[in-house]
Amino acid sequence: MKLLPIVALISVILLGSLFVYVVEDVPAFGDPYSPPNRYINLSIGIDAEGLESSLDAGVLPAELRTKIEEIGYTKENAFPSLEEGKYEIERKEGEGEEGWDVLIMKEELYYPGLEKFYFIKEDGEKLWVYRYSIPVRWQEKCEEEMTTPNMVTAGLADYRGYDTLGETAVIYTAAVSVILLLRRRGKL
Amino acid sequence: MSAEKKYGRDVVIETIARLMIPFIQLYGLYVMMGTEGAGGGFQGGTVIAASFVLYVTAFGITRGRKNFPESWNVAFKCLGLYLYAGIGLLCIIFSLGVAEYLNYAAVPLSNIIGHADTRALMIADVVEIGIGMTVMAAFVSLFFDLAWKEESVEEEEGGAEE
Repeated sequence: MKLLPIVALISVILLGSLFVYVVEDVPAFGDPYSPPNRYINLSIGIDAEGLESSLDAGVLPAELRTKIEEIGYTKENAFPSLEEGKYEIERKEGEGEEGWDVLIMKEELYYPGLEKFYFIKEDGEKLWVYRYSIPVRWQEKCEEEMTTPNMVTAGLADYRGYDTLGETAVIYTAAVSVILLLRRRGKL
Repeated sequence: MSAEKKYGRDVVIETIARLMIPFIQLYGLYVMMGTEGAGGGFQGGTVIAASFVLYVTAFGITRGRKNFPESWNVAFKCLGLYLYAGIGLLCIIFSLGVAEYLNYAAVPLSNIIGHADTRALMIADVVEIGIGMTVMAAFVSLFFDLAWKEESVEEEEGGAEE
């Protein structure tokens, strides 16, 4: 008889602790520099000695390139190749994000151009490699590409156009099946 | 006769509905096409469908069915989806072998007004309108199906009681 309340209490405590555990890792809402919003750490750390001058000159050091390709970011896996001449490096200054942007040449049909792909962060004596997440491109390029001030509409109808077409088809199918199920009269 | 009494006309409700319906539909159109504000095709279509529901609530289901018949309903429902998918097909035809399905910049209009403006035009005036049409017709159709059924059940019950 007393078992049910005890089990309920235990499960509430377990769920509450799980909630706290998960929520602790969630970044503050609207923080533009939090990892999911801005960029993803690829866990590549390397000593900075001597590499800064090479990066400033616009050449990706060979050690960094092999480290990036070791974790599978190769041309065979459909990631942009890091051969010389296919990228550009720009120095970036800003609060909390000093480093270099690695821009990759995109060969799209209607919008060819340079695009931010990797970010090499200068952190004391070490260099850390980050990858820009997709929302960054979305935020920075959507108004330029579509002259639509609403980011959500632009994404819904353009970047994710296939998805929206499918959703419309789902609603259509639902309406047709309700007609078949509920319509009892011959007329109409 | 009993049905007429049950769904008798009410001057207040009819006047308010007559005042509100055009504005609701205009707002629905704004939500559907205005890419500056919040919203989109799904939301705008639902708002317009709500105006039809208000019409039926105020004027009765027979009149509502007469003003928004099933033939129009089916036509709108199909036309919206065809508009959306047809733009995709147009892009395939005009991109000549590249098969850029749903890449709106492939339409030759982009040679005149530019890629970005073409995409904006297609998103706001074709794709969202298509989505809105389908959603509006689908929701109105769902509402009419449910309402017809309930009415017929009530009629049968009323007949049994009498």
